[in-house]
Amino acid sequence: MIGRYIVTPHLCTGCRTCELACSFTHSINGKPGRSRIYPLAAGYKDLYVPVVCFQCEDPACVKSCLVNAITMNDETGAYEISPEKCVRCMACVAACPFGCSLFDKPHNLVIKCDLCGGDPVCAHFCPTKALEFKLFEEELKEVV
Amino acid sequence: MKAITLTINGKLVRATQGEYLLGVLRREKIDIPALCHHEAVEPYGGCRLCMIEVTKPEWDGWKNYVTSCLYPAADGLIIQTDSPQVIGIRKTILDLYLARCPEAKLVQDLAARYGVMKTSYQTVPEPNDCILCSICTRICDTMGFKAISTVNRGHGKEVAPPLDQPPDACVGCLACALNCPTNHIKWKDVGGTREIWGKKFELIRCEQSGHPTLTREFADYLIAHRNISADYFKINDDAHRKETSLGLGKIAQWSREEVK
Repeated sequence: MIGRYIVTPHLCTGCRTCELACSFTHSINGKPGRSRIYPLAAGYKDLYVPVVCFQCEDPACVKSCLVNAITMNDETGAYEISPEKCVRCMACVAACPFGCSLFDKPHNLVIKCDLCGGDPVCAHFCPTKALEFKLFEEELKEVV
Repeated sequence: MKAITLTINGKLVRATQGEYLLGVLRREKIDIPALCHHEAVEPYGGCRLCMIEVTKPEWDGWKNYVTSCLYPAADGLIIQTDSPQVIGIRKTILDLYLARCPEAKLVQDLAARYGVMKTSYQTVPEPNDCILCSICTRICDTMGFKAISTVNRGHGKEVAPPLDQPPDACVGCLACALNCPTNHIKWKDVGGTREIWGKKFELIRCEQSGHPTLTREFADYLIAHRNISADYFKINDDAHRKETSLGLGKIAQWSREEVK
């Protein structure tokens, strides 16, 4: 993984701009796709947490895929579903313990966060900077 | 991984030694019809529609007509994808497909694109929509279930479970039916039960919302063979997301109180 989402939940207002950004970024032929990110109420007053794929180290989606349609993109460090290879058996949708593998019914696609090719659009659109995406190099500089 | 050069319709194209030509042609945005091609499985060469003309300078003008999905790329190949002979071969094949599956929309549309509006052969007595592309059986094999296969030969060939009995190996994942290009394979999802190939399945219901997810058999297979925790299948993806946000919310609330 070359970068990761940095979430600061107490800044999140639950405005769902990230959801819109994701939906429009992943539109096909002008038809918005299902959002890969879900800012959900977190059980306390005024507390929202954007839930998005964690790009786990030993992912259940990859283990559950019987046709090896989910592979890691070495450049971005994201696990991506190949829409041509996917057979829509829904194993990964059921297996993901965080519910971040989704089925986009209108497009008939199984989807998950692909980090938009290394620069997630949702993070750019967050008005309160509750959701940020940082490359490890940048983070290292900040620490040093 | 040796890079080589091919000539496709007079244009020089780079490719990798040994990769199949259909992939190269599709990458070059050349429209090649193929009914039995699926990225998840090995090429099959069953539909014969991806026929192309290949030749080499040292072949003294000899040409070969091959299925591009099974022909490996080699240095110096000269490829024609739309010569009159190739179009003629495709027309004949589509003519035969129309005789076998006159009602399949996919076949009708493809044939119409090549100007074949009506079959010149005799239509089979009891036509169905199965084009025998074997995508269903190959996907089932690749996934490791091997529940269905093609049975009989010649005009009696069809896709069926062993001995036409409800297959023991089937887990009801629906991969065969959902990837059938002509939607020939029928299944039923009614009130938490699923029926396919004559076998009935009980769908797991989400413990929180009650929505059906996978079949019990499919989940058990994944738990046993893919080392996935059985707890993951108790609730559906919506409930999983909710749980994740609640879990992270607890940490966030704790840190928020710390900040105060």
